[in-house]
Amino acid sequence: MKNKLILSGCVIIAVLILLAIFAPLISPYSPEKIDVENILSSPNRAHILGTDSLGRDLFSRMVYGTRVSLQVGLVAVGVSLTIGLLFGSLAGYCGGRVDNLIMRFVDIMLCFPSFFLLLTMVAFLKATIFNIMLIIGLTSWMGIARLVRAEVLSIKEKDFVRYASSMGLSNFKIVAKHILPNALPPVLVAAVLGMGGAILTESALSFLGLGVQPPTPSWGNILMEGKSVIDIGWWLTLFPGLAILITVLGYNLLGEGIRATRCTLHATG
Amino acid sequence: MSIFSPPKSLFRGIFLILIFIFIFTFPFPSTSTFTFLYAQQNQKDEIACYGDTIVAGSIGEPITLVPILAADSASQNIVGLIFNGLVKYDKDINLIGDLAERWKISDDGLEITFYLRKGVKWQDGASFTARDVLFTYEKLIDPQTKTPYSGDFKKVKDFKLIDDYTIKITYEEPFAPALVSWGMLIMPAHLLKNEEDFRKFSRRPVGTGPYKFVQWETGGRVVLEANPEYWEGRPYIDRYISSVIPDQSTLFLELRNRSLDYIGLTPLQYQRQTETKFFKQNFRKYKYPSFGYTYIGWNLRNPRFKTKEIREAINYAIDKEEIIKGVLLGLGKLCTGPFVPNSWAYNSDVEAVSYNPQKARELLAEVGWEKKNKQGFLVKNGKQFEFTLLTNQGNEQRRKCAEIIQQRLKQVGIKVNIKILEWGCFLDIIDKRQFEAVLLGWGLSRDPDCYDIFHSSKTGPKEFNFVSYKNEQVDELLEKGRKIFPVEKRKAIYQKIHRLIHNDQPYTFLYVPDALPIIDVRFQGIEPSINGISHNFIKWWVAEERQRYK
Repeated sequence: MKNKLILSGCVIIAVLILLAIFAPLISPYSPEKIDVENILSSPNRAHILGTDSLGRDLFSRMVYGTRVSLQVGLVAVGVSLTIGLLFGSLAGYCGGRVDNLIMRFVDIMLCFPSFFLLLTMVAFLKATIFNIMLIIGLTSWMGIARLVRAEVLSIKEKDFVRYASSMGLSNFKIVAKHILPNALPPVLVAAVLGMGGAILTESALSFLGLGVQPPTPSWGNILMEGKSVIDIGWWLTLFPGLAILITVLGYNLLGEGIRATRCTLHATG
Repeated sequence: MSIFSPPKSLFRGIFLILIFIFIFTFPFPSTSTFTFLYAQQNQKDEIACYGDTIVAGSIGEPITLVPILAADSASQNIVGLIFNGLVKYDKDINLIGDLAERWKISDDGLEITFYLRKGVKWQDGASFTARDVLFTYEKLIDPQTKTPYSGDFKKVKDFKLIDDYTIKITYEEPFAPALVSWGMLIMPAHLLKNEEDFRKFSRRPVGTGPYKFVQWETGGRVVLEANPEYWEGRPYIDRYISSVIPDQSTLFLELRNRSLDYIGLTPLQYQRQTETKFFKQNFRKYKYPSFGYTYIGWNLRNPRFKTKEIREAINYAIDKEEIIKGVLLGLGKLCTGPFVPNSWAYNSDVEAVSYNPQKARELLAEVGWEKKNKQGFLVKNGKQFEFTLLTNQGNEQRRKCAEIIQQRLKQVGIKVNIKILEWGCFLDIIDKRQFEAVLLGWGLSRDPDCYDIFHSSKTGPKEFNFVSYKNEQVDELLEKGRKIFPVEKRKAIYQKIHRLIHNDQPYTFLYVPDALPIIDVRFQGIEPSINGISHNFIKWWVAEERQRYK
């Protein structure tokens, strides 16, 4: 059962990755090609998913949008993973004051409704794709930090760690070589699930017009354009909506699959 | 004059305003065609009745309700209902008396004597007198007052109160827009004498007009209520609510939900989204050329855009026909200069430059922009040709227009970043001159005098020449154009100005959009004329059984 979960998640993500890599080959038109003769044509042979209100081919835009979404997922989670691992292991391993200080900071960060924090940061920085990814990462590391800290706390009491420390290994080596590798699996699950979240956040930002800026297509900003013509251009809402749904579903399936496998391993092992 | 107008603007177009979307207010000459759609009005036998509320949707919030400071159409719409000027335009665009009952102009044109209407009351009960006019005039010319409208009034040499209801105004030299300029809305002296900066008055204005101010919820709505003592007769509709919804598609959904009665449609909504049975039964829509245009304004203090070749190149690189087709769906005309085709000042010999990217590339190469970097953008001295085009939030047409421009300029190697800002914030950036290029619209006054927009003396804070345009020949012609009266002679001058400004390209002129208002079918008495639909707003009414609000 869980293998099926993992498998279907993997298939979905693999297809998306292929779409992103081969976007220029797959899309029949340039995603930025404006064609005022073909405004809002419904799906037809020339434009299989129809066109938007500037006559741009929706299919091509969606394919290129995949790039944005996958990038956002990877980079944003990469950023939050880095920060989360760093703070989490510091807090967990050092304990005492450092732990207290870091965890209170985490609490403070968690106090802010994260979407408003995001909006504020977007307002201050230039809305480039990279900044958006960075900001999403910077506002979503707290969960991972907590998770890592908890894992580190339990692992550092294990015999092999005590042994390593009695052998005079430096603290850095103990954390990097002995603790973190053992703490990673649950963090990985959180990271995979986080990718889905990051993609949703980017879409939400772009939907509000604060995320990925024109002319770069992203599923979120296609949705935003679609909303004003939803009665005459349903395809502009349906297809990007579905794309977001399927992608997030893919990551969640994969994440859940890994988690389920781990649970069984724990149970049997 | 005002720079933008929100999707609906009801009131008289005596002054320039900055417009958000379309202007309904602005008068247009008789040659234009008015299209009425949907239900025919059948109201001859019915008797108008009082009551009901009209809820108008606007994407922009008023900036101020002080009439002499109101330069954007959202503000103008509201103050136009609360205040009166001395004169106004009637439905055929003739100047008629408003607070002035009649006037006399001396033979040399240097003196105007206004005989004011007696018995007019301010909404707080005080009487309106010539002292209020004097007070408004003094505020207008006071250097402390940051108003874009001071220019016309600085021409006055002598302002004499003959008695409480007679004013004699003398000009140093002939001034053609003199009479029109007294369409400026008059403010109450007795309330403002002791107020330094109008701050309180702006949130609680008191005027002589058909509607009284009730409430202004910031970011929400402005509520006005019929003035029962109004000297022209009490307006039929009890309340006027301007609801601020900063997004055209939400406005449209609210209209469909019938919680709004009056908005300006986007071309897409007009052409494709309102052709259903529901809309035909419940609304009336109108279409007529607006008296305004949309343009890109270049900050001429910026060394890059100071170069004429660059502005010319950009003009060649943008396909305006494409914009009219793609953004306006054909509901608009090309714009070649600072006058619209319906104005007598329009110079039809000036031809719009046709789309020619090759020419654009050549012009750019002439001024050293030739090499391209890996991304295909032009570079000079290690710098990429890149600029930010600002426009206001909520206006779909401007966003699309910006995207088309971005696409076309990319093809000649110029990188455009589009930044969409909230209205107030946008105006603030314009005031501080912190922009490279803006995508904006002007709502024009009937008189072609565009001294305030293009004269080099009007570049101060809050003034309208925010691009800092300066051409001595244009300055001279602008000064001359306001000194003579016969239309034929003025025509020659303004047509020359049209040509010169077209050649200089301080703006890249894009298009003259059609105004596309839509109104709930229950409102009767709307008389479309060459002066738009709002000239007789106080005579609109709703039959008792169809009234929706009590």
